[in-house]
Amino acid sequence: MILALLLAVPLSACAACAVSAVSAVSRRRSVLEAVNVTAFAITFLLALAVASQVLRSGAISLWNGFLYADALSALVILLNAAVALVCSVYAVGYLREDQRLGALDGEVGSHGAEAKLRMYYSLTPLLVFSMLLVTLANNLGVMWAAIELTTLASVFLVTFYGKVTSLEAAWKYAMIGGVGLSMALFGTLLTYYAGHKFPGSEGVAGLNWSILVGQAAQLDKPSMRMAFILVLLGYGTKAGLAPMHTWKPDAYSEAPVPSAAILSVAVLNCAIYGLVRFYVLTSRCLGAQYPGSLLLLLGLFSMGIAVPFVLVQKNFRRMLAYSTIDQAGMMVTALGIGGKLAAFALMLHMTFHTVAKSLLFLSAGNIYQCFKTDLFLKLKGGVLKVLPITGAAFCLGTMAIVGLPPFSLFQSEFLMIRAAFGTAHFLVGALFILFGLGVFTGVTLHVSGMLLGTSEEPRAAWHPWRDTPIAILAVILIVIGFWLPSDLLELIRRAAEVVSP
Amino acid sequence: MHTLQDPEFGNKMVTLMAALVLVLQIAMVAQRWIVTNIRLFAAQSFLLAAIANTIAYYNHAPHIYVAAVLTLLAKGILVPIVLERLVARIEIRQEIEPIVNIPLSIVISGGLTLVGYVLAEPFYRPEEAPGAATLGHNALAVAISLFLIGFFMMINRRKALTQVLALLCLENGLFLAAISLTYGMPLIVELGVLFDVLVAVMVLGILVYRIRETFESMDVSRMRRLRG
Repeated sequence: MILALLLAVPLSACAACAVSAVSAVSRRRSVLEAVNVTAFAITFLLALAVASQVLRSGAISLWNGFLYADALSALVILLNAAVALVCSVYAVGYLREDQRLGALDGEVGSHGAEAKLRMYYSLTPLLVFSMLLVTLANNLGVMWAAIELTTLASVFLVTFYGKVTSLEAAWKYAMIGGVGLSMALFGTLLTYYAGHKFPGSEGVAGLNWSILVGQAAQLDKPSMRMAFILVLLGYGTKAGLAPMHTWKPDAYSEAPVPSAAILSVAVLNCAIYGLVRFYVLTSRCLGAQYPGSLLLLLGLFSMGIAVPFVLVQKNFRRMLAYSTIDQAGMMVTALGIGGKLAAFALMLHMTFHTVAKSLLFLSAGNIYQCFKTDLFLKLKGGVLKVLPITGAAFCLGTMAIVGLPPFSLFQSEFLMIRAAFGTAHFLVGALFILFGLGVFTGVTLHVSGMLLGTSEEPRAAWHPWRDTPIAILAVILIVIGFWLPSDLLELIRRAAEVVSP
Repeated sequence: MHTLQDPEFGNKMVTLMAALVLVLQIAMVAQRWIVTNIRLFAAQSFLLAAIANTIAYYNHAPHIYVAAVLTLLAKGILVPIVLERLVARIEIRQEIEPIVNIPLSIVISGGLTLVGYVLAEPFYRPEEAPGAATLGHNALAVAISLFLIGFFMMINRRKALTQVLALLCLENGLFLAAISLTYGMPLIVELGVLFDVLVAVMVLGILVYRIRETFESMDVSRMRRLRG
């Protein structure tokens, strides 16, 4: 029941905002904002309830196993719902500021600010709904359809400002995503083929993950071999693994900042989630060696490709996008290393990355709106003077994301490296450290130049809608560096057990 | 036995129609005009629905009928109408202007068909599933070829709208693979996929329209502002 509610809340918020044009009262901006924030607050509470129920009584399912939530789903749902809530609060302040600055008016002939706001406030719940469906769908085909829906729901968020560059970014995003996902669908189809000979696997149940995982050892091996490659390429495109990453910096730098944060954090979590589901099936069918080496290849390549692009980057939102590519590479590498420790490190990393990267994107949004540029060259430093809280938060987030101790991501990355050396992946461990150092150098170099120094801009005032979420995230980031709530830790541990029992 | 009930006859029909589907695909590669391309796509979707019907009939799988009818309505009728109206509305020059010239494109498509047959080989195991179940093993090879040629069309074309068509061809290849490998995916999945295809066509259609308005052209190779 609770699972159905979880899906119903964002969907009804989407419908409510989409039809709000009909009446004059509901057309007001404050109504749209209230609907979004309330819906995401309820979604977050429901996600908490799902997580606690999964912790108490194990996996739950609904409608004959159509919806299914184990610890892995519960963890991803919890993280994504939290991101959605934080971003919805931030979006209120961000879009109001945009409207005040006239950024929503656009050129003549395009939609007015009101239509744009309505589009934003109805597409975001749709995006959140599709992400929840990804994690709740038991059927791998339905999961595919939901992942495709995340792309379709977010294309018009990328074209939000209607600039020439946003159209280019959206086109790349839609086409590369579409081709990638068609490969993933082929992989899903082959997985269905690999298991369709078993009795009782006719119809919907034949693609249900919870059933397939029990029969994984008897699945047809050649088909699974091909299926995994296709799914890895497909969902890897969605996760932005190199060499299919080219849409990512464009989409993230063109979308409004709260959407970019959702895309960069929550949608990434969904893509990694999809890969994990197929990894479990494939490793139980063919052994961990085969999928592991493919994952390591793509993961390390993504980490490696991020290094030069971060080093020469001129734009801080694009730099964040390359950092996300690097982080996605890390998570995939951890999955590829295999074993208990690496699986635990992966789940831990996903949790920490969710907090740190949303903090970074939201603070970057504040900096962008204050200085009206996202180029390092025009910014010329002084962020800490003009925006003390945002600047400090950005600094914290940066230190966390490059893996400086005592911040949380240091712990998970350290665990990953330990797992790599512990399972005799010496080259992997060495490259991991090397690429990590490269990104560290690039990011700290750019960010220190941006934050320090002086600026002629006057000191900005406190914006409650935009600064509160940032302050809360910053506090959470510091706290989880030293202490994780025991329930959350238990959930992470159980999620890791789904990957590697 | 009546000819219509003979599985051998069904097998031949499926092979014949699959061959026609492949011919249409190569015709699309060779065609210069966008509107003709859209109509070829409609004919191809129509044939796919017919293949699905035949397989449903000989394997007594009623849920494939539903998939076949939906495919016919969505990809055979609705999508082509939407695309043709889009072409009329944006008043583009109707030529496709591929990057690789047409004779060479056809040769490449032929090569990709060969690759499709090689890749489909391991999935053909007549000893495991005798009788009617071998229906359409040729269809799988054609499906993989459609998929590969779709990829090639995607790379080979510069205009936004023709790239959308290439994406739809990829999807047609997937549908054919699904019905020939497993007699279709579960209905709920089929519905989800079809829904996504329809939404994707609409989303991409709007995007094409706005690109045309902004860039005065649909040539995506002109979009090069975002780098690095």
